[in-house]
Amino acid sequence: MSGAALGSDVRTQRTRPPGVPRARRRLTQRRREWIAGYLFVAPDCLGLLVFVAIPMVLSFVLGFFESTGFGGYRFAGLANYQRMFSDPLFLNSVTVTFIYLVLFVPLLFCVSLGLALLVRQKRPLIGLFRSLFFAPNVISLVVVGVVWQFLLVDNIGVVNRVSDALGLGTRSWLGDPKFALASVLLVSVWFFMGYYMTIFLAGLQDIPRHFYDAARVDGAGRVQTFRHITWPLLRPTSLFVLLLTTITGVGGLQGFDLIYIMTRGGPNNATSLAIFYIYQQAFQYSDFGYAAAMASFVAFILFAAMLVMFALTRGGRFDYD
Amino acid sequence: MTTTRRPDAPSRVGSFSLWLGIALLSLLTVAPLVWMFSGAFKTQDDIYGISPIPPHPTLGNFVDVFTKIPFARYIFNSAFVAIIVTLVALLFHSMAGYALARLRFPGREIIFTSIFATLLVSVPVILVPLFIVVKTLGLVNSYWGLIVPAIFNAFGIFFLRQFYLSLPRELEEAAAVDGFGYWRIYWHIVLPLSRPLLAALAVFFFLANWNSFLWPLTITENPNLWMIQVGIASFQQQYAAAWNYIMAAATVAALPTLALFFVFQRRLAETIKFSGVGG
Amino acid sequence: MGNSSQLSRRSFLTRTAGAGLALGAGPTLLTACGGSSSSSGPLTFWNFYAPAKVAGGSVPASQSKWFDDLIATWNKSHKPQIKLQYIADYLNGSKLQTAFAAGKGPDIFLISPGDFLRYYNGGVLEDLTPHVTKEAQQDFFPNVMKTRTVDGKIHALPMEVEPMAFFYSVKAFEGAGLSEADVPKTWDDLLNVAHKLRTKKRFGVTFETTPGYYQDFTWYPFMWEGGADVVGPDGKTSAFDAKGTVDALRLWQESIKSGVAPRKFLGTGGNDILANLATGYTAIQNCGIWSISALKSKPRFEYGMFKLPTPPGGRYTTVLGGWAFVANAKGKDPEAAAKFCAWALGSMSDDSVRRVADWCVKAKSDIAPRKSSTDLATKEGGYSSAPMKFFKDEVFPAGRGEPRYPPQVVKAVQQAIQSCQLSGADPAAQARQAGESIDSYLKSYKGASLA
Repeated sequence: MSGAALGSDVRTQRTRPPGVPRARRRLTQRRREWIAGYLFVAPDCLGLLVFVAIPMVLSFVLGFFESTGFGGYRFAGLANYQRMFSDPLFLNSVTVTFIYLVLFVPLLFCVSLGLALLVRQKRPLIGLFRSLFFAPNVISLVVVGVVWQFLLVDNIGVVNRVSDALGLGTRSWLGDPKFALASVLLVSVWFFMGYYMTIFLAGLQDIPRHFYDAARVDGAGRVQTFRHITWPLLRPTSLFVLLLTTITGVGGLQGFDLIYIMTRGGPNNATSLAIFYIYQQAFQYSDFGYAAAMASFVAFILFAAMLVMFALTRGGRFDYD
Repeated sequence: MTTTRRPDAPSRVGSFSLWLGIALLSLLTVAPLVWMFSGAFKTQDDIYGISPIPPHPTLGNFVDVFTKIPFARYIFNSAFVAIIVTLVALLFHSMAGYALARLRFPGREIIFTSIFATLLVSVPVILVPLFIVVKTLGLVNSYWGLIVPAIFNAFGIFFLRQFYLSLPRELEEAAAVDGFGYWRIYWHIVLPLSRPLLAALAVFFFLANWNSFLWPLTITENPNLWMIQVGIASFQQQYAAAWNYIMAAATVAALPTLALFFVFQRRLAETIKFSGVGG
Repeated sequence: MGNSSQLSRRSFLTRTAGAGLALGAGPTLLTACGGSSSSSGPLTFWNFYAPAKVAGGSVPASQSKWFDDLIATWNKSHKPQIKLQYIADYLNGSKLQTAFAAGKGPDIFLISPGDFLRYYNGGVLEDLTPHVTKEAQQDFFPNVMKTRTVDGKIHALPMEVEPMAFFYSVKAFEGAGLSEADVPKTWDDLLNVAHKLRTKKRFGVTFETTPGYYQDFTWYPFMWEGGADVVGPDGKTSAFDAKGTVDALRLWQESIKSGVAPRKFLGTGGNDILANLATGYTAIQNCGIWSISALKSKPRFEYGMFKLPTPPGGRYTTVLGGWAFVANAKGKDPEAAAKFCAWALGSMSDDSVRRVADWCVKAKSDIAPRKSSTDLATKEGGYSSAPMKFFKDEVFPAGRGEPRYPPQVVKAVQQAIQSCQLSGADPAAQARQAGESIDSYLKSYKGASLA
């Protein structure tokens, strides 16, 4: 380090006439700032490199290998990718993920925006209500999955009892391929809605009051106010929420944790999200190479989706300007 | 929140019914947690009863949960890992956030963009190679393997950078004139100033690590190292039929996070809001 | 200023170094209390019988105790010490696979025939033959050993034999006006009786619905009864696309479609008799012999049993499950591990014979895999109770050992069962499709024989 410092000083002396202490000091200061900057970011950069970037690259490389499941790897070229596109269960898991995403993102968006609009105004106990809406989000997905499994037990679970009492009959919420994905999805929405409600609330608060005052002067109704003021001015928040929910929808932990606990991808693969299927191939069938190939594929899709998002949000900017 | 009345404030009756609607909806939202809680106090025979009030309330489930499995050990592991991760992560992230926001050095923008890009990488997607990396480092089945990979997370860096961008420049300049070095500026001025945000992030990190499941599940086989979520999942496998036990275990796992939430809820909400508008 | 900032940098560096040291010192401390299991120290024995102090739930204390005693006895007189390691969710979880992938597999572990080939083909199953005397080898029943032997070499020693049958609730039968005479003999009977037993809160009959080795295992005998099989006698081509397969798929499908069977189980699944039959969730349950010992904890629950009913023109059979001890060929001390397996279950010493007998009739309720242990258990009255006698004399003799297939074949079968049973897919089409994928897999398959 001292060598570099010396060199820098020499260079300084060459470009600046000697005997100008202020300039010299500024440059030394700058050099010091560089070093400090690098040292300050070093731990995180190193960690992210080792535990995120390298695994990401490794995932891509591993996709070209076949694993024995007992520590051995053999180069397999594109075999894993070929297998992937002829594996009906992987294609099924992509379909399931797609359906999940297409339902999850808009549903969560609407529910949390709706809640935010509901609890936006100051009313008695509104703080408590907001907390109650948020509460599910601080509980672990494992507990969430376990509790909902209990509530959704066939025939005698609370949900079935209530639905039976209401004359709707009983259903196998987690055992019937027709309902299982919807059940997991609703639990996910229930888990996340408070979180996104809070983000929306912040967005709503940021809308300057004078817009509403102007609307009132113009005699605008509720719907009109929402359409012409709230909705357009909430755009940055909305895009941010869409971005986050898409990421969580495809690669999020809730997809994994809830499904691991509640359905293990069943019944008949109805809830086999891509990330869960990948996990199964890797850790249940020790097919690490194949799993890595599929993971790379999912990462690629996510990346493409993000590029679209970035284009839509002009480079990831969610603020007004 | 200081908003008073919306411009199109509805009538009193409408307002009350809306309030009632919100109240009912919020109660409905926590109803599953109420059943969890009440199930923890029910006997095996009453467990499927629809009433949330246990007909024969008992503490036996909790006693059994703590005596039948090393639940205290799981709680200790979770607390230990979550606290260490939180502390180290806060230190590293605030350092990085400070440098990225306030120090000028070549490549800063590239570094920031790269860090930001890692937000798009989710654990399930890189689980396999991450496992191999951690295995290569010899950290499988150790506290070390639970802690180290959990520290690095771009969210915290991102938040803190946003926050440090908003600090007035004069503070540091005054300090620099006084002869403070960068570490001391960071330690004595920047860090104290960011205490509120750090506190909020601490709650977040703690919750995330207390609640994490997939990574601990993957990396630990030794039950002495299990964190609480893994413990619950396997407890459910072992006692699958005894919902009263499972609800008691779930309650024990959920209570600390709920308590933390209700104590720090304002801070949490602020951080979330910050994440929504910042950036 | 230059001076003081120099100072501050130095202090920063020393602090960083200090932090680095602290971090560097961490791992030793942390691993020390984490207790890394594989590198040195005693041999590890992975199993799914929870330690006695935490037993309960699905593991009766008597079974944990048998394991504890076994290890204590070995450790008293043998050199490489052995340590039990309880693994939850052993069957459907991923711990074992992950450990082997990480090169940290346990030295001794439990295995079912369904998973035999994966580990055998992975080269981790130590040959146990040198440690088992000729006499002892002949003491084990041949139908039990067939799936544990490759080219005449024993690679796993069974601790038990577990045939499948049906259990029913006497109370439910009486409540529906049925008696022992109405016990189903044919598949049609089974569905009819189940229909009579079905109420709003109770299912009539159950078949496993959770995908996995266990579901395939419980389904095989229904396929066999109609004369079909997964692979042909040579083990090289699929025999799956056959009428017997289609009929068996249809039976399971019909049970769900007509609403007499549940889609979801309580408890751990279809193998959990206490959580399902004993709670009144179902009136009849397709389950194994282990249920007898499980039901001892509910002495007031009255139950009956019947053999698997048969399809028209079919012949009765059932499947024989059961777990075996295996030694990791890539473990710390494969020879010692193999010696342990042989010593524990496969020696002609009185201890070994008694140990197997005790496990099968005292700790658990199973058929013993060895003639000598069966004789001993019978002599001491282990099979004199009506349920045990029924299983030993009526269910077991026509049974066939659980076959061993590579994971891909298991998955193909699983896919056919799942889609017919739960999604109402066409059994004929599914049988054909699974048959094709089994054939195409077997063409390039290079491991040990499936037959």
